[in-house]
Amino acid sequence: MKRYLPLLALFAALPLQAETPQQILDALVAQAGPASAARGEQLFRAKSTAGKTADACTSCHTDNPKAPGQHVKTHKTIDPLAPVAQKDRFTDPAKVEKWFKRNCNEVLARACTAQEKADFTAYMISVK
Amino acid sequence: MDHAGLNWKNLLTLALAVGATAFAIARAPADDEAIFPMPAGKTYLNECGSCHTAFAPGLLPARSWRKMLAGLTDHFGEDASLDEPQRLAILKDLETLAADTPQANLRMRRINGAIPGNAAPQRITESGYFKFMHDEVPRHIWQRKKIGTPGNCLACHTRANEGRYGEREVRIPQ
Repeated sequence: MKRYLPLLALFAALPLQAETPQQILDALVAQAGPASAARGEQLFRAKSTAGKTADACTSCHTDNPKAPGQHVKTHKTIDPLAPVAQKDRFTDPAKVEKWFKRNCNEVLARACTAQEKADFTAYMISVK
Repeated sequence: MDHAGLNWKNLLTLALAVGATAFAIARAPADDEAIFPMPAGKTYLNECGSCHTAFAPGLLPARSWRKMLAGLTDHFGEDASLDEPQRLAILKDLETLAADTPQANLRMRRINGAIPGNAAPQRITESGYFKFMHDEVPRHIWQRKKIGTPGNCLACHTRANEGRYGEREVRIPQ
């Protein structure tokens, strides 16, 4: 029982912050204007010369957002990015912001714009 | 004297004794299993366990963790910075459960004992204890795609994120 406690705590905490991917996209669109899934896909696949460890999103997340990825350095498995394959993706705004911050900085060596975040999120939601 | 060699009674006794011993071993409490205390809550797992195994704090002494958490903007080449309240909370957990705390279990003491007092090592995999425990693992196993690096504890120690490194729970991926 004891080892399920963290899990229970997780379920208990979820309703406080859970949103749908569409709500998260709407919030980003409110800052950026209309989102384009096509531009989001370009961003996802683009090679960057600024990356320190990873030179594209796909370095860790693979070409297929529905497939599990693997961290290029630690080799830890990463859950798929697309909500269709991984239900908890794009449901926690703080988590979404955290990873845009870390990973944009990692791959592009800069923060992503609100437009880029909206496009990227729109693409991930569009993957079926 | 009766011959004490092969007869059904002796064989049966032997079989029962072996069976009972095997049963006892299989069910024995995991006293000497490598089990390390882990921070409560999910902050440590979420913040430190996303990019790599949520390494048990007891694998390094507190001074190592203090040094590590003072340099998160360049964490093995990556920016792993945390906001300050979270950083302090995680540091406190790490210090409380580190290898050199008074409550450390036998295994943690052994790990700490192998680290010079003036060193603050940052890589668990470079410790004498780690190398000793993994000396039977050949290079080609480490190089398997699903493992890749000795720091990928979770690849083989399926419950490493719960602080469990026992040999019985090792599953080496193909």
